[in-house]
Amino acid sequence: MWQIETGTTAGKIYVTLIVLAFLVLFMGLIPVMQVLPPRGRRALIALVTFFAGLVFAAEFFWPVNKQGENWLTPAIGPAQNTLQIIAAMALALGTYGLIRLHLRNIVQQRSQWGYSVVLIVAFVTMGFFSVWNTLAEKGVLSKTVVLQRGFGLLFDNMLVPLESTMFSLIAFYIFSAAYRAFRIRSIEASILMFTAMMVMIGIVSLGNIISYQWLGLPVEQTAEMEKNPFSLRNIGYNLALPRIAYWILQALNAPVQRAIEFGVGIAGLAMAIRLWLSLERGIT
Amino acid sequence: MEKQTIWHRLLMIDRRILYLILFVNIIIFLLLPVKVSTVTSPPVRRFYDTIEQLKPGDMVMVSSNWSAGTIGENRPQLEAVIRHLMRKKVRFTVISFEPQARDISFRFVSRVTEEGGYQYGKDWAHFGFLPALVGGIKGMVKDLPATIKQDIKGTPIAQLPVMQGVKTLADYKMVIDVTPAGTVAAWIAYRPKDLIVLFCPTSVMAAEAYTFLDSGQVAGMLTGAIGAQEYEQLLQREGLGTPFAKAISFSHALIILFIILGNVALFMSRRAQGG
Amino acid sequence: MSYQHAADNWFSAIIIALIALAVLLNIARAKAGAQLYIRRIPGLDAIDEAIGRSTEMGRPVTMIPGLTDFGVVAVQALTIFKYITKQIAKFATPMRLLTANATVYAVAQEAIQDAYNEAGRPDLYDPDDVRFLSDRQFAFASGVAGLLQRERVAASFMFGEFFAESLIFAETGNIVGAIQIAGTISFTQVPFFVAACDYTIIGDEFYATSAYLSREPVLLGSLVGQDIAKLLFVLTIIVGLITTTLQGKDHWLVKLLGMPGGWEAFWKVISKVISGGS
Repeated sequence: MWQIETGTTAGKIYVTLIVLAFLVLFMGLIPVMQVLPPRGRRALIALVTFFAGLVFAAEFFWPVNKQGENWLTPAIGPAQNTLQIIAAMALALGTYGLIRLHLRNIVQQRSQWGYSVVLIVAFVTMGFFSVWNTLAEKGVLSKTVVLQRGFGLLFDNMLVPLESTMFSLIAFYIFSAAYRAFRIRSIEASILMFTAMMVMIGIVSLGNIISYQWLGLPVEQTAEMEKNPFSLRNIGYNLALPRIAYWILQALNAPVQRAIEFGVGIAGLAMAIRLWLSLERGIT
Repeated sequence: MEKQTIWHRLLMIDRRILYLILFVNIIIFLLLPVKVSTVTSPPVRRFYDTIEQLKPGDMVMVSSNWSAGTIGENRPQLEAVIRHLMRKKVRFTVISFEPQARDISFRFVSRVTEEGGYQYGKDWAHFGFLPALVGGIKGMVKDLPATIKQDIKGTPIAQLPVMQGVKTLADYKMVIDVTPAGTVAAWIAYRPKDLIVLFCPTSVMAAEAYTFLDSGQVAGMLTGAIGAQEYEQLLQREGLGTPFAKAISFSHALIILFIILGNVALFMSRRAQGG
Repeated sequence: MSYQHAADNWFSAIIIALIALAVLLNIARAKAGAQLYIRRIPGLDAIDEAIGRSTEMGRPVTMIPGLTDFGVVAVQALTIFKYITKQIAKFATPMRLLTANATVYAVAQEAIQDAYNEAGRPDLYDPDDVRFLSDRQFAFASGVAGLLQRERVAASFMFGEFFAESLIFAETGNIVGAIQIAGTISFTQVPFFVAACDYTIIGDEFYATSAYLSREPVLLGSLVGQDIAKLLFVLTIIVGLITTTLQGKDHWLVKLLGMPGGWEAFWKVISKVISGGS
């Protein structure tokens, strides 16, 4: 019932009726919302929210057949497609807001309007070549040398290096942040610093060189070492920097992360329930 | 005015000087022909061993979601993975859930597979960009050709020789997620039960995956360029991971040196203030 | 078969129902007038201080909801920003809300306008203060970094879901001398915020923020319900730990809790227990 056969006449009539019904509903909804008092409006919104969320909740809990589906499962795909369409429409709105802001900067010659000119020129140029490229890929337009060179220049020679450059800034910022933050100011700060240093040196080749080449610690654990866990060789094996780093990541980091993720997951579920039942006043 | 000691100056050092030192350090160790070997970490060893268990003709899904920003970490990983898959003579398909990743991964994998003698359509294919990750995975679990419909070149999926006998995601042996984002949780949650998941994140995102490694939900992991270096060592084929990891290695050493210097400066300046 | 329905994983079905019950019961308790306690979160107490500092310096406040898609995280981030905006409106401090998601941008515009209206200062609302910069991660990062530098912001609030760009925001804010308060559910970005920001809100403290700031009974009740749910998880872990240690992995309780499957698997284990099998 959620998928319509648009090839048949009945299907086409069905689609037309649905589109008309939505138009009537939408056009009718605006005057109704204006006439209703605020409490009525909130009640209507809460009702729509509840039924929209109920589809997903019911689909999850409803018993399934041997194929792992129930009668609501085919509705999920179209619902998710609808969300994608809304996101695409919102993108148009966001882009409009961006262009409007910068055009206004240029027209009114506000402070630093030169950057707005750069943005508009870059936006138009990249947008032009991207649309042309997509149409050429689909065979609507031809793939000319100008397109190939232009798109290649903009994408491979500008966009890719620019994005990589921004990501590489993180390396430099880490350096200044670590230099500033990792100081022995308190017990917690000291633990943070030593742990970070252990992991930083343990996960890279330098940790291997220090532990296995300079200090000559065992690289692998033999059966004999397993039998004598407190032997010097076994202790040495476990004190190698890479093993300490791996232990910190596996035995300290992972359990803490699980704990935080439990809390975040439960809190997210609680918030979703509040939004679904319109108990959350928040931004509404 | 109080005289500024060298320790005070060190504490207040202009960050641009720090950036310059790091920049020079990276350039030197990128270009220096120093061979630095490494010991394979357990997650990389598990990654390698899992792929080694594949048989010729098996199907593998490569989910490539990285774009230009993380090219330094994800590209060496993807290259090493593709070369290993070609060595094992498995069939693979590539998919992207990020628009820019579609073009980058297609062009990159095309180049690597050409070098390895793989033919597009017969040995591998690219499914293009799929907008919704969770919806896409769920759709592929149910009916892959109906979800993907056509490959990046516009050919219907069912017509591709590489897709012979493949109806759903359950017909794949494993999925390898090469990504800078947290997409692996969706693969773990919605995949068919027997589909093995391998993970190639950037170093920043790797910390999140240790819980999945512990529980076995992720069979193996390559952590950024360092993981790529270890993997290249196992494959005995040096790619970009090795020089990048070398530069990272010495950068870490530099950062640790400056952390120690900063603490010494703090201690000495406090001493100077105290008398 | 994958875990796409409650029937595939009975454990998740029951747990979700139990968490929902705990949350709803405590919301009812709070609405009935129960006094509920919430501990101090220093980062949130500093919000007013940060806004005051911005007002004194005459420099703007920035609010960044990260790369969040519109969902629960974005709604929570916008709720916090709405509170901050109401405080800002009292002092007519300039503000900028920068988004990387168009849907969040659309909702944020409405939320911020509402905030100014509720604060009695609709004249202060400027649609250009809420901006959609780009949905590309590093284009957004460069836009935010540029704005932080050009406008020399005095306070920066980062609440939401962040990825690699978090350190770019935090360190740039540090360079311009802004007081920074960050809250994120992204576990991997917490170290960067801790290193570069003045205050960091971690994990579910992010979701507790709206309850902490507004002290609304519904939100406080929900918070207590969440804590009870967490206790339930802890008890399950302890029971599983003790049982596995003393009885081994083949004990029916360990099999029941450690091996979720469909309802058939559940009834199979239960009926074996009842019939006295192992």
